[in-house]
Amino acid sequence: METENVPSSIVQFAQLDKLLNLCRANSLWPMTFGLACCAIEMMCTGGSRFDISRFGAEVFRPSPRQSDVMIVAGTITKKMEPAVKTLYDQMPEPKWVIAMGNCAISGGPFKCKNNYNVVEGADQFLPVDVYIPGCPPRPEALLEGIMTLEEKLTGKRRWPRRQPENIGSLS
Amino acid sequence: MSVPVQCRHDETFVLNLGPQHPATHGVLRVKLTMDGEYIVKAEPVLGYIHRMHEKMAEDGNFAQFMPNTARMDYLHALAYNHGYCLAVERAAGIEVPERAEYIRVITVEMNRLTSHLLWWAAFLLDLGGFSPLLYAFDDREQILDLLERITGSRLTYCYFRFGGVYNDIDDEFIAGTYAFIKRLRSRLPRLYHDLVTGNIILIKRLKGIGMLSKEQARRYGCTGPVARGSGINYDVRKNEPYSVYPEFDFDVPVYNECDSMARYMVRMDEIEQSMRIIEQALDKLPDGPVRAKVPKILKPAAGDYWASVETARGNLGHRLVCDGKKNPYKLKLRSPTFSNLSCFGEVAEGMLLADALAFMGSLDLVIPEIDR
Amino acid sequence: MSIVEETRRALLVLFPELAAVEEEARAAAQAEAEIQAAEEAAAAEKDENEMDALLAERDAVRLDAESAKQSVAADEDNLEAAEQEDPAAEKKEKEPEEEGPRENGIVLTDHASRGTDIDVFCDPDQVVAAAGIMDEAGFFLEAITGVDWIKEDKLEVIYDYNQYGQEQCRVVVRTFVSRTEPEIPTIMDVMPSADWHERETHDFYGIRFTGHPNLIPILLPEDADFHPLLKDFTP
Repeated sequence: METENVPSSIVQFAQLDKLLNLCRANSLWPMTFGLACCAIEMMCTGGSRFDISRFGAEVFRPSPRQSDVMIVAGTITKKMEPAVKTLYDQMPEPKWVIAMGNCAISGGPFKCKNNYNVVEGADQFLPVDVYIPGCPPRPEALLEGIMTLEEKLTGKRRWPRRQPENIGSLS
Repeated sequence: MSVPVQCRHDETFVLNLGPQHPATHGVLRVKLTMDGEYIVKAEPVLGYIHRMHEKMAEDGNFAQFMPNTARMDYLHALAYNHGYCLAVERAAGIEVPERAEYIRVITVEMNRLTSHLLWWAAFLLDLGGFSPLLYAFDDREQILDLLERITGSRLTYCYFRFGGVYNDIDDEFIAGTYAFIKRLRSRLPRLYHDLVTGNIILIKRLKGIGMLSKEQARRYGCTGPVARGSGINYDVRKNEPYSVYPEFDFDVPVYNECDSMARYMVRMDEIEQSMRIIEQALDKLPDGPVRAKVPKILKPAAGDYWASVETARGNLGHRLVCDGKKNPYKLKLRSPTFSNLSCFGEVAEGMLLADALAFMGSLDLVIPEIDR
Repeated sequence: MSIVEETRRALLVLFPELAAVEEEARAAAQAEAEIQAAEEAAAAEKDENEMDALLAERDAVRLDAESAKQSVAADEDNLEAAEQEDPAAEKKEKEPEEEGPRENGIVLTDHASRGTDIDVFCDPDQVVAAAGIMDEAGFFLEAITGVDWIKEDKLEVIYDYNQYGQEQCRVVVRTFVSRTEPEIPTIMDVMPSADWHERETHDFYGIRFTGHPNLIPILLPEDADFHPLLKDFTP
């Protein structure tokens, strides 16, 4: 399936685009798409304590046709790979991909000597926008990933990034 | 009772459920042959998250497989830790200090609580109720905080070691656990049972749905709450006592109704029983070391060994075949949901699609555990 | 009679020779008991113990191996040291004992150290009969698995049975098939749960379960033609 062309490439409305991106960034609709362990942390993020709706991203849609962020939460196996690809193709433009967890980044712990069934990273066949490391990442890490995606969309960060005290510079 | 198949038109169609479907709790796929809303044939298709655990076990040494154990059944990871440790300890003849056994029981039972709470939330989400999820996750986070304090992780624990546990528990953990049990005891009847269990919609959706007879349960090798909901009094903690479970006084809830409601009630009662075990274990907690001295590289004697534990989903078995070298020659994992799900095809025949999903939810599936 | 003993007796049907031997032993024991008829009942029970001892003697080879293994476990450190000194000699001593051809029969194993109670070794075509006996006795199938003994050029197929009773009794039925032509009859007609277990074993080891109606990959991709748990597998 070919990706749709975004018509905004011919005529550009700079301010309108900015406004649209601001709207998109603040109402990301992720797809309910759990593969493995990370999906449970994704559920926790949607749960009462971490409450992803503070960032406007709580509308988890079960259908790819209604969502614009695919959170690849878990290990992609060779049997699952075509399904993930189809799901991505079914999502309408504009769309983004978050690779959540080590498995979706690089195969994680399953990148081993005799690997016969695990795809080593979602970026082998999907354009990944944000990588969230962890096995599984904490819900705070997923929230940070969503904010990073917002930053990518609008060019601005919602909250200023804070350096942890007493640990020294991490960057 | 499920309605018999009504093939009036001889016209059936195939419906593909999954691998991406919110009600399959992951990546299970079921090929359904439908006659209208009724299922004529249901055929689960597995393997979408087969992660080669058994091959990885053969490639590394004994200790290197420990992190893998947590990633199979991520909802009850500590039981998998426990099962693997038991198998290796049995093979290598390692004695575990008593305090470590108590800590194991306490943490495994707390993990069982998180598993049942999450099942409860996800099951009701399948049935269309969203607010239970918020209550259950609220309680679940409290346990995760306590467990994180001593194990270092929230979900995929790698806390047990051969001959003990990694870390001792402290007073704050003990006080926090007592406080949590008090809190959950006060919330269970009001928020869980009054709000949900007595709800007429829930009863209508679960009573008499998904009848799994005692004989069927046996022929398909069902264990855990699925078997106990069908009137089978089988719990590895009682029938094949391991660790220090014989020292605690707890009941095995058994229901004879054989339907989804029975399985629901078994799990709700197990929450109470797990809290009883934790309380008794905390009361009796002995002093002493939490880890025996064990050589870094284990070389158990050749032979094969079996160890079973009761996870939140049933009887988990590890068959460990050793050949006297430093890595397992073969590790077979007998996962409870693999057997529990195998009855789905037979039971779902003739059911309404919506009822089949309620039945599937009541089996408490964790797909990475089925596929391993 | 304990469930372990009951199940062992039931399984003896598979091995007529062993059963005959046991029948003789029982007859002898009974005759002895009749001689001592005047004595009290406790003595009779003791005789039964003796009969057990007699039976145990039949499996002397296996039991020797067992005890040898246990002593190996006890003196593990010493052995390890010895292995480092002269690994070749040590191996030669160890191997024929432990991996020598095992005769068909039933062995009682210690649950505390092995996790199983009854260990049955039979021919590949006897597994269906064994499954039938287990089914009648109310057992359920826990797992089916294979083990690749590449050095001996054969595959082991292991069936684990367990029951729901309060008394523990786990039965292992094992058999060997050749590595080049691995074939074994299916037990699906007796135990429907074997369906998926057999498909999984076929996936991992390439063992063909003859008579299985649907032997397609279950955990591997649909088009998989490799068997990853064979020891000579490379991806």
